[in-house]
Amino acid sequence: MFIKLLMRFLIIAAPLLLAACSMARPALVYSPGATVDTLSAAVSLSVTTADSGMSGSGFLVYRRPDQLHLVLLSPFGTTMIEIFSNGEQITLLYPGSSTAYVGRIADLPVKGGLQGWRLMRWVMDAAPSDLPGQNGTIERTGSHGVVEKVTFENGLVTAKSTKNGDKVYYSRYTVAGGVPFAAELDLRNSQDDRIRMVLDEPEVNAPLENAAFLPRLEGVKVLPLSQLKGL
Amino acid sequence: MMRVLICLLAVSAMFVSGAIPSAEARTIPPLEGLEALRKGFSGMSDFTADITQEKRLSLMKRSMNMTGTVRFRKPDQFYMAINPPYTSRMVLKDSTIEMAGGPDGKSNRIVLPPEQGLGRWVSKLTSPLTTLPDGVAIQADLSNALYTLIITPQGKGQVKELTISFLADGTIRRLSILERNGDKATMTFKNLRRNIGLTDREFRL
Repeated sequence: MFIKLLMRFLIIAAPLLLAACSMARPALVYSPGATVDTLSAAVSLSVTTADSGMSGSGFLVYRRPDQLHLVLLSPFGTTMIEIFSNGEQITLLYPGSSTAYVGRIADLPVKGGLQGWRLMRWVMDAAPSDLPGQNGTIERTGSHGVVEKVTFENGLVTAKSTKNGDKVYYSRYTVAGGVPFAAELDLRNSQDDRIRMVLDEPEVNAPLENAAFLPRLEGVKVLPLSQLKGL
Repeated sequence: MMRVLICLLAVSAMFVSGAIPSAEARTIPPLEGLEALRKGFSGMSDFTADITQEKRLSLMKRSMNMTGTVRFRKPDQFYMAINPPYTSRMVLKDSTIEMAGGPDGKSNRIVLPPEQGLGRWVSKLTSPLTTLPDGVAIQADLSNALYTLIITPQGKGQVKELTISFLADGTIRRLSILERNGDKATMTFKNLRRNIGLTDREFRL
């Protein structure tokens, strides 16, 4: 359960921010047309399901369109888990046991109600309002054919939902590198599973080396994702 | 991972303990350094200290800086709190770890095998050390009042090198953990107080 939700978080989190960052908000001063191509930030997250929960702090880097690397730290600052995603591929690296689980996102155990990659793409479908300063909620069919309700506030998307119960909320907008930036994301599904994430010290569109997205697997026991038993 | 954490807890507790004789700058036998720590630890029942913690992430070329508090009480209690924005808390009671953090303060509970409990590690410090621990290489030196121990676990585990610097009076200055992936975590202790009568109330999430 943890892994499933955490993976969903990993895949979803940065694109959520990306979607949020591409929108205009009159209260914020930003560069028109600016988008998030890369992102690095400290992260604090909570994952809650009906029968479990976890939380932690760490760091993430993201590069458009689908590369992400998340590090979760132990209280002593050592690395508990690193998660890399690149397209449909995902790697979970546990330095403590020198073990990595590698597979496709689609191979993650299905539980928790979130829709993984498909949900991420739905979340990314959050184009800014064509009406400057738009407020209120509209229903529309998104670019991926999903019927959704979208709530705008001063032109920014603050919430989205689908008929099957998936919801995402964007808040704490700031500007980083000239780009509007939602520092807090809150995802929920029909089972009340919840992923909440807060970002700090974001750096937007700073150069990132390819190595930041490549897991170091030398000397690491690599197993298929199907053998993953739990976080 | 949890075994590493418990080891670190025990090491941290040792380094804030009692007086350690000063010496001129010199390389000292590893066993001498370890035994000095053990002796200091024997005179300590509890401690609290402020900490700063820096995490350097090699792949990401970034670092995180945190502040917080740690507490320890014999025989088997440890508490650690990290201040915002990286808020987290951890309580260890022998082999049971409770951690809370994240935006919602969600808590996790982990129960370790009994042989990995903090109490077992602490009990090992009651007798003088006559041999070095298996599975590690240790370097030790003493520069005026500052001891430095570099502990290198053998094998391919997560921790590549553990470096501890502490004053001759037992006050730890710094604990640094170099991981095999190149990441480095450094914890600096300040405002350390010993034997102040901490109670169970100070070891709750």
